[in-house]
Amino acid sequence: MSLTLTAAKNPDRNFKYWIAFPAVFLLLLVGLFPLIYSLIVSFMRIDMMDTDTSFAGLYNYANLFKDKRLWESLLHTLLITAIALPVELSLGLAMAYLFLERMPGRQIFISLLILPTIISPIVAGATWRLLFDNRFGPINQILGWFAGHPVTALWTVSASLAYPAIIFCEIWQWTPFMFLILLAALSNVDKSQTEAAEIDGAGFIRTFRRIVLPAIWPVMAIAILIRGLDLVRIFDIIWALTSGGPGTMTETISIYAYTQGFKQFETSYTAAMAFLVILILTVVVTWAIRRMGLAK
Amino acid sequence: MVTRRDVGRIGLAATLAGTFTRPAWAASAAETAVKEAQKYKGQTITIVWEAGLQALDPLNFSGPKWKELTGIDVKVVEVSTAEMFTKIMQDYKSGAGAYDALNVIPAWMPDLAGAGALEVLDPYVEKYGYADELQKIAPIYRDNQMKVNGKIYGFPDDGDVFIMYYRKDLFADADVQKAFKAKTGTDLAVPKTWAEFGVTGAALTEVLKDKGIYGAAFFRQPPYTMFMFEERFRNEGGKFFDADSMKASINSDVGVKVFTDMREENKFMPPGVEQFGFVENLAAFLQGQTAMTISWPPYGRWAAGYGTDQEVLSWVPKSTIAGKVGYALPPGGHPELAAGFALSVSSTSKNKDAAYLFIQWLNSEDTSLERVKLPYALRDPFRTSHYTDPGYIALWPDAKEYLGVLQQASETGLLDLSLLQTDKYEEALRQAISKLWAGDDPKAILDATAGEWDAITDKIGVDKQKAVYSDWASKSGAYPKM
Repeated sequence: MSLTLTAAKNPDRNFKYWIAFPAVFLLLLVGLFPLIYSLIVSFMRIDMMDTDTSFAGLYNYANLFKDKRLWESLLHTLLITAIALPVELSLGLAMAYLFLERMPGRQIFISLLILPTIISPIVAGATWRLLFDNRFGPINQILGWFAGHPVTALWTVSASLAYPAIIFCEIWQWTPFMFLILLAALSNVDKSQTEAAEIDGAGFIRTFRRIVLPAIWPVMAIAILIRGLDLVRIFDIIWALTSGGPGTMTETISIYAYTQGFKQFETSYTAAMAFLVILILTVVVTWAIRRMGLAK
Repeated sequence: MVTRRDVGRIGLAATLAGTFTRPAWAASAAETAVKEAQKYKGQTITIVWEAGLQALDPLNFSGPKWKELTGIDVKVVEVSTAEMFTKIMQDYKSGAGAYDALNVIPAWMPDLAGAGALEVLDPYVEKYGYADELQKIAPIYRDNQMKVNGKIYGFPDDGDVFIMYYRKDLFADADVQKAFKAKTGTDLAVPKTWAEFGVTGAALTEVLKDKGIYGAAFFRQPPYTMFMFEERFRNEGGKFFDADSMKASINSDVGVKVFTDMREENKFMPPGVEQFGFVENLAAFLQGQTAMTISWPPYGRWAAGYGTDQEVLSWVPKSTIAGKVGYALPPGGHPELAAGFALSVSSTSKNKDAAYLFIQWLNSEDTSLERVKLPYALRDPFRTSHYTDPGYIALWPDAKEYLGVLQQASETGLLDLSLLQTDKYEEALRQAISKLWAGDDPKAILDATAGEWDAITDKIGVDKQKAVYSDWASKSGAYPKM
């Protein structure tokens, strides 16, 4: 009896660590190990074709700064993010406002609207490629009805149309995500406050800025952050639509990394590129989290 | 409907027939392979094969037949062409030894052989008595797509080559001929030069457009156009590199002219031709919407209606032009041996002899003849005997002309550019083509591409690449004899 009590009072201090060990080990194995290994690889000369895989120092990192295509691909990524993110946010917010009030068939409409988000992006891209097809795609056909003559716009080939096509697909697929998140946030805004503001004579914009926005901001900021990060690693839709073309005009950083790593076998260089992107993202996300007040 | 089992039986019967018509004292390469392979009964060999129609050959025909003859199972790993090189290299680099036999695009051979991923086949050829039959492969494939630095790394196994297909009914139509002459002042004839092609295509579009027919269409998606550019550039006198300095010379006047002409020709082709891939171009031709096109040999078979009753080919549009198709060498007379496949053995294979014997049997006179005639597969004639085989000639009324042009092509064809890290050069070229369709200036595009090629060469090492280029350029199919 006394022995049992002693054991209960003084359990093995290390037991909790033993319990946590398998999970922590697994996480380190699948998360930290590849990260560290990639870091090591980024300082080597592994390119799948060459037998010399020796230590290369900062060679790969130095090359990053000379690689015009890398910086262009980063610029393309930023361009898509800078256009798609605000549009998705604005449209999502407008739709959320629209569906805030009770209306007949509201649930059905909401269910239908969120359908694009559950489609795999590569499937969405392939579908839109068919829709944009010059010969068989309905988009040119519909445009032709309005124009009164056959339209042969080369959406995925022409330099002036490739970006609109990509951004349109992106917005089509991910605006519903914004909508859903913002609808949930708006539903939780204290109605008594907005009603009081209305009675006091505040207009819609003033009410939105002073009452609604502060109330939904934490959720909205998270949605912006998630979508922003998604856009930075955008790959599937562009790969299916243009494969980064014409030339490298719509090549994003993910597509460039894929091309370098898995088509050109520049393993070490791609690892260095990945760490550069991680570094940039860490700085940007840390800044954004502070700026958005999410750290509080 | 022909079932898998039927195909297997037909093939087996044909091979046995071939076996029994040969003198008893002369064992064929196929017989030798079967006899020797029986020692490995019960084993399994894994072969990498292009996914899709190509893979139906080992899945439906050769794999089951090999099992029946030798007791060796064949496991087929289907991989898309775009992923094949990656998968083969990954398997080799990881040392997994997951693949025994491989399908390899000949242009990759210097890279794969240089990396050590391919087994040298000379000792096996000698050991299993394949040298004589190997010599009967059409010279252009045998002499150009088999060796690296004098050693055999693969057996050419697919006579991929670009052929011009034209509507002989339209070219023979008196009204069309009259209208054509009125427009151009010359008689209507199948173009033999690219200058003639430009004139003929444009005039035919004007003459036939009211009937919904365009003078020509090509596949224009960059991966296909890359091959067409390589062919046309050399037919017009272009050289890829300066042999002394290894500086890229695709931005020469010839290169710029070819780029400019290619874009100009799109104007008389169907709208949106820039998006045409293999299937779109095929559909336009088989549906009678174009008077001329250039493509791989299966177009000719399908246009004649051969094999298109097969369920697996149900996606091929019904040919409305069977019996109306003529065959010719593309303008310039030196067609591209675009892509193609060679059979190799993986250096990490744990069953090298069994794997080798399987590819010897596949590639042999007897078996390969059956394989190139499979209605659903995509292997094209590549042995001298294939071009004159009475069984093949009897497949459709114009098959003799078709085989005749393939044979001519096998004598004058041009190799794909094959260097160290070829895909990097090709990738730059593909991007250049997509910029061309997007409307950029041809000279500016090619200057930038030449710069990229030079940067790739510098990274690999000028001397190292120069040696590989010299080896490639010395082959009979590298540049046309002007």
